[in-house]
Amino acid sequence: MKPTPAKRKPWLKRILIVGGLAFLVGAAVVYYLFTLKFDDTASTKADFTVNALDLIAEFAKNDTAANAKYTEKIITVSGRVSEVEAVDSTVNLKFTDTTTGNYAIFAFQEQHIAAAKTVKQGDSVSVRGSCSGGSFSSILGTTFVTFKRCALIK
Amino acid sequence: MKKNLVFALMLLAGTTFAQKKVTTSGSISFDATTPIDALPKADNKTVIASLDTKTGAVAFEAIMKNFAFTNPKIQQHFNAPNWLDSEKYPKATFTGSIVNLKGVNFKKDGTYNVDVEGDLTMHGETKKITTPAKFVVAGATITGTTDFTVKLDDFKIDGPAVGAGKVAKDPKITVLVEFK
Repeated sequence: MKPTPAKRKPWLKRILIVGGLAFLVGAAVVYYLFTLKFDDTASTKADFTVNALDLIAEFAKNDTAANAKYTEKIITVSGRVSEVEAVDSTVNLKFTDTTTGNYAIFAFQEQHIAAAKTVKQGDSVSVRGSCSGGSFSSILGTTFVTFKRCALIK
Repeated sequence: MKKNLVFALMLLAGTTFAQKKVTTSGSISFDATTPIDALPKADNKTVIASLDTKTGAVAFEAIMKNFAFTNPKIQQHFNAPNWLDSEKYPKATFTGSIVNLKGVNFKKDGTYNVDVEGDLTMHGETKKITTPAKFVVAGATITGTTDFTVKLDDFKIDGPAVGAGKVAKDPKITVLVEFK
């Protein structure tokens, strides 16, 4: 007597293939999201290029409008460095309007810290960074604009 | 007579200024990592801080959007309406004072362990906190450090990531300020 061939289950094969593909796509998406990093700001196109004192004045005049325009945008800011401030193992650069005390301050991306440390007070430089917005400081009584992930452009 | 008065006023102004130290480059680290997610941590290195060496008053203010994460998605979630809502609550602030100021001599080099007590405002909520802190005096430089945890519940901060255990419910805050 001839043995009966095992009954094929094509639906099971399909489920396994689709399930396996879904798992791979899901794993790839999770891996992508977890390893995602910000681009190097030096090679990111600037949304705005401005003079430091003009930017500071714009925030001092109307910080609501300036925040709406600049926050989370990449901006290249040029000016004369008023202070190089050490912080932890890095430095921040500042442009200050000496007539008002209002200022813009820049914290650097890891790969650009070494370059920032070479800058001296009085140097004319251009810095590109992500604007975190501006506000009035109740401690200092001045307006300030903050930047993160900055790179020294020149 | 007039010159003497002007000089006395200048001297007084100088003394008053000298006792209040400020920095615009304080650092606050935020660490809400959990065993299943190592990404929610960030640094803000442009924190404004002040220390009045005479009264012991301390204060800081930090722009929330200047906390820099390495991962863009986590930064987006951090500032989103269902977490810190940085658009609506753009700043975190602290105003307080050194509790045991008598044990500190800011004119003498040394390490001073103190308690700092005050009001921390974040996400529109204000809570009183007390934390141990350390001040190191070296010449004209005063370095202050402290770390403490905050309960996100206390500041009405919630969201899917917190509920899912991907963000610590009691993140660690580390503060470093250097006054010159």
